Amino acid sequence: MEKVLPGMLSFKTFSQSGTFLLTVLLIAAGIISFPAVLNLASSSPRYQRSSTVLLVVINLLFAAGFLWICWFHLQIYMKLPLEVPENLMIWINQQLTMMNKGSSYGLPLLDAAAPPRYKIPVWIENEKYFFWFMCYGVMALMVHLRLQSHRFRAILHIFLALQIFILYIWADPFTSPLPQFFTEIAPWFAPGQSIMAKAGYFMRLYPKMIFYYNAEYMWFHPPLLFVSYGAITIIFITSVFMLVKRELVIEKVGYDYAKLGFFMLTLGMLLGYPWALKAWGPNWWWDPKICSSLMMWAVFSTYLHTRLYANKKFMWYFTSFLGILCFLAMIFTFLTSFYFPGEHTFQ
Amino acid sequence: MRRKSSYDFYLILATALVLFAISAISIYGMFYFKFAQIQQMAPAIKFSYMERMNAFITPFIIILILLLGICVPKRLLPTVWLNRGTVLLVGTAVLTAQLADIKTSLLVILSASLFLQVIVLILALAGSKNLNFHKKGYWVRLGSSLVHLGFILLVLDLLLYKKEVLHLFLFWITTGASVAGMFFCFYAEFVVGFITGKKNSSSEINT
Repeated sequence: MEKVLPGMLSFKTFSQSGTFLLTVLLIAAGIISFPAVLNLASSSPRYQRSSTVLLVVINLLFAAGFLWICWFHLQIYMKLPLEVPENLMIWINQQLTMMNKGSSYGLPLLDAAAPPRYKIPVWIENEKYFFWFMCYGVMALMVHLRLQSHRFRAILHIFLALQIFILYIWADPFTSPLPQFFTEIAPWFAPGQSIMAKAGYFMRLYPKMIFYYNAEYMWFHPPLLFVSYGAITIIFITSVFMLVKRELVIEKVGYDYAKLGFFMLTLGMLLGYPWALKAWGPNWWWDPKICSSLMMWAVFSTYLHTRLYANKKFMWYFTSFLGILCFLAMIFTFLTSFYFPGEHTFQ
Repeated sequence: MRRKSSYDFYLILATALVLFAISAISIYGMFYFKFAQIQQMAPAIKFSYMERMNAFITPFIIILILLLGICVPKRLLPTVWLNRGTVLLVGTAVLTAQLADIKTSLLVILSASLFLQVIVLILALAGSKNLNFHKKGYWVRLGSSLVHLGFILLVLDLLLYKKEVLHLFLFWITTGASVAGMFFCFYAEFVVGFITGKKNSSSEINT
């Protein structure tokens, strides 16, 4: 695709700098996991100050990577407009006017002075993992500063290191940025096409641009869910600790993140609904992803309800079990997009 | 006092069971969708799959609404009257389902719950001490009332999905009530601090 979009975007600069940043992140994750393993095995705290410094460094690296992704998206916005020749624009606008007549949500007509541009959110394709793990990194730092338990901190650090490892090995957003998006748009920018081929490509790209890449809901629905995923990971860790020891301070941390996670999850799911109506119409019910999201929300609601009675011994353990189940439901819901067909599929 | 608490406790356990059942049906729906390759079927088959799934889940939604129908008046009534009210509500729901259909029965329960919840909300707004809440604090109670109102409105809204304009309008009211409710309920201390300028409010501690 770099050959198809020559000189339009600085792929090389973005990829090389991003990969370097990700490598430094991986090294930092490797370093932080050593004291974490030691602390897990030891009865007394070790290397606590250095772990705090490393955790701050990891968060700064995440922030730098996120800004780097934002910069790349700005380049896409500025340098890749879908410019349509004037004679073709008249024909396309006629087609769009006809299409809009039979639809509740129409596509905007083209304006020669302002060609349509991609306003891509910074959490699509592999970037979503970067954003999700970055959210967890921030939460891990906040919990680390709040709780002194060295074993609890160790688990937080191990989870963070694991996520960075996954990012480096399977979900690198820098080496080959946005492969699906660039594969989709590359034919449009290929030189020497007939006007009819150009019209065909445009009619394929434009609706997806409006209803997916540039959809306003894209800026709220996915990031709210990723913030909740980060919070659910914290709930999982606190729930595992609650099974081992009845410590109120840890339970309180779990509940604080449960409140945040539930708030974000519910709002995120609700905001997905009008978007679904707009993009797919009302016939999306019982889509596998919707089913699994409902299941996760139901488990999460149950966790919050049973937590009201966590002062009873049975309910304390039952709530912890539900916290763990909630995390498993989240993983299941996320993987649904890979293994189940439907509107949310990544297949 | 103990009796009220145990009533609450069993209501919560029942709610948890119903939510588990809804989860199990959702998982069944996912696997059925995949293995029966519903996405590649003709619209008529897709529609029949949706209808069947709706039929599976409807009884549990009704039980959930009934539980909510008990949950809401429990804030207003003593236990004896609550039991009588519950029997009356279940009786009305069954009778309506027999005389008309399940959808009408659901609408009746939802309307009754909505009416009671609006009263609870007004009383919570007025700061009434007569409401029986598990938690104390003005904002927590107001938030809890709004969250429950949001849920009732959401189910009502899903029933009215064919009325496009009303559906979306009601949806945004639902979203507003749920979001405001969760915010007041979860972050009551912050809300009080923001309004009064004080850092801590013991009456709103939400633990």
